[in-house]
Amino acid sequence: MISLTHFLIVSALLFSIGLYAVLAKKNAILVLVGIELMINAAVLNLVAFGRYDGALYGGQTFALFAIVLAAAAVAVALAIILNVYKHYKSINPDDINNLKD
Amino acid sequence: MEQLGQLSTPILAALVVLFAPLVSFFIYAAAGKQLRTGIPAIAAIAISLTASIVVFCHVWNGEQIHQQISWFQIGEHAFGAGMLLNNLSAIMLLLVSAIALPVHIYSTIYMKGDSGIHRYWLYLSLFCFAMLGLVMADSLLLMYIGWELVGFASYLLIGFWFTKSAAIKANKKAFLINRIGDLGFLVGIAVIYTQFQTFDLLALFGEHGMVREALNDGIEWRYGEHGMPVIWLSIAGGAFFLGAMAKSAQFPFHIWLPDAMEGPTSVSSLIHAATMVAAGVFMLVRISPLFDDHVLLLIGTIGAFTALMAATIALTQQDIKKILAFSTISQLGFMMVAIGIGQYGVAIFHLVTHAFFKCLLFLSAGAVIHEMQHLKEKNNLAIDPQDIRNMGGLRKYMPHTFRLTLVAALALAGLPLTAGYLSKDAILIFAFEWSEWQSAWWKLIPISLLITSALTAFYIARLVFKVFYGKLRLQRNDSQKYHPHEASRGMLIPMLFLGLCSLFPLFSYNPLIFEDSWLIKGFELPETLERVNIYHTVIPAAVNGLAIVMIFIAWKWYAKGKYPQGSFQGALYQFSFHQWYLNLFYESGLVKPLLGFSKMLYAIDRVVVDGLVEKVTGLARLFAYASHWFDRSVVDAVVNGMGKTAFVIGGLMRGSRKGKIQYYIFSMFLVLLIVLFVGLKVFSP
Repeated sequence: MISLTHFLIVSALLFSIGLYAVLAKKNAILVLVGIELMINAAVLNLVAFGRYDGALYGGQTFALFAIVLAAAAVAVALAIILNVYKHYKSINPDDINNLKD
Repeated sequence: MEQLGQLSTPILAALVVLFAPLVSFFIYAAAGKQLRTGIPAIAAIAISLTASIVVFCHVWNGEQIHQQISWFQIGEHAFGAGMLLNNLSAIMLLLVSAIALPVHIYSTIYMKGDSGIHRYWLYLSLFCFAMLGLVMADSLLLMYIGWELVGFASYLLIGFWFTKSAAIKANKKAFLINRIGDLGFLVGIAVIYTQFQTFDLLALFGEHGMVREALNDGIEWRYGEHGMPVIWLSIAGGAFFLGAMAKSAQFPFHIWLPDAMEGPTSVSSLIHAATMVAAGVFMLVRISPLFDDHVLLLIGTIGAFTALMAATIALTQQDIKKILAFSTISQLGFMMVAIGIGQYGVAIFHLVTHAFFKCLLFLSAGAVIHEMQHLKEKNNLAIDPQDIRNMGGLRKYMPHTFRLTLVAALALAGLPLTAGYLSKDAILIFAFEWSEWQSAWWKLIPISLLITSALTAFYIARLVFKVFYGKLRLQRNDSQKYHPHEASRGMLIPMLFLGLCSLFPLFSYNPLIFEDSWLIKGFELPETLERVNIYHTVIPAAVNGLAIVMIFIAWKWYAKGKYPQGSFQGALYQFSFHQWYLNLFYESGLVKPLLGFSKMLYAIDRVVVDGLVEKVTGLARLFAYASHWFDRSVVDAVVNGMGKTAFVIGGLMRGSRKGKIQYYIFSMFLVLLIVLFVGLKVFSP
């Protein structure tokens, strides 16, 4: 029997992997992939908790919205990365440090 | 005291006398090197002479004139500046200008071609101005100013040839020794001012002056309210005499005068006749009422001793000017004796006659030296032009100079028909009469004077015979013939004038009896000593007898060349030749110990005082170092440490702020985690 706990564990693993990618990767695209993973971990949590709401399926609905918004956000993020690349000739997040004091 | 409103003729004339040389001084000072002619100076002194004749005619045996303007005021004490014209200052004014004029004229020839001649006229004018100012001053203060100026001008003139080191040494010596005297004068003035609160000569020393009115009961010297112990009267007199001793070259301060011969001869003649050395005698006569018996005895003793000493030195000198210098010292000693025995008029009489013949002697010597210098330059000889051993036989070459010198020499020796006879006999006779009233010991003074006058006859005869008789001693040295020439007219005419003044008619119609001289009569004789008739016949006879014997010996020795063999090696000769070793004594007895003392003080200063100062500074520096260290390593360290700490903390803090986005995210996440963790711990039930 697959309980809620298993879902939450997978979600947590997924979130951690995503977080690792965001923190450690030297490529903005992969960082973006990491972000996607974390969004998906959140979406998985929403769906997993949604099983216990048999009447309204609020969790599932919210997950759908989140997936759509994530797609839109990825589109914007990719556009930003493209522009960053044009400006810095690099997509390594370490090189993009003009905001430091 | 009338104000300077209506100027009477004598006052006006006196002002002219005083300021003509000053104007000349300023002309030369302004014109600088361009003005080489002596005409302004001669014109000025001629004007002075004319004006002083006017003054003399008005003042002599008339009313004394005292005119004063107020000069300045200190508190309640007013000080006046003015002039006091009486017989004394009138005769001195006349004398100074009458001596200065021929000297000026003579100088035009004597100093011709000298590169510094503009300075010469400048100094000479200043010298005359100073002396005239000193003579007519009406207060001790003005007199002191003139006194100092005379000293200063003589300093300049003695060192006129300042490239000669001997001249520089001589003028320094003259100046230093005169400073000692000046100190005496100043002390005297101070004592007088303390007692009487005035500098005014007339008020102090006049007919009914304060000094005469002051009471002296043997214990206290009292005037009005003010009194002081009677010793101060003697101190004041002694202090003034100290001033006169330095100025008038009395033992032991006479040593500057022979050295002062380094100046031009014309200057020497002026110094010796009328200006410098006369100042001391004049000053003593001016303040004569001040002297009590002790001071008078001191003056007389010093004078007699100086006269004798200088005469013995003059016997053996080889330098023509040195002989004359010591002769001056000796004659000044005579004047001092005259003052010491209270015969001020006689002192002035001798001063006046001496001025003329001594000036003439110097001018003649100058003419001879000039000629010898000329020979020396023409023939490239290595001789000292002033050494009488090189001279001789000049009678044939310079007959006029010889005759004039002879007149002056006779006057100096005190033979009849000359002015010197009158004044010297006066001093001798008065000295003998004075000694009648003293204890037996004081007979020594007139007797030493008698010996001195015999010595005087000898040394001046020696000079005349060595210079003018025999053969020119240069001639022996090689085969070349030398032909010295007679001095030029510009030198001879002033000398002739002085020669005429050295004879008796100027002073007395009777060539044998000094008491008939108008000059003596012009001065009040102090309570006349009983006239001891015997002296008035015996003394002149004795003086002249001795003089003639001496001159004969000198003639035999020097004109005929019959020296007594061996007499030039004796200890006495050496003693005299080295001027009684006084210079040596001063050198080793005073100068060297003084220098040694100074060196010791210097060492003390270096070791103790400087050492102490250095120790203190070392201590201060040490302290400074310590506080520096403290400041650096404690105070600064605290401040810097704070800054550094802040910097390090800041550095540490900003380590993560490197613009690395992923770090930011990491730390945000970490914070979130911590917050969550803490929140769970805190809020969990």
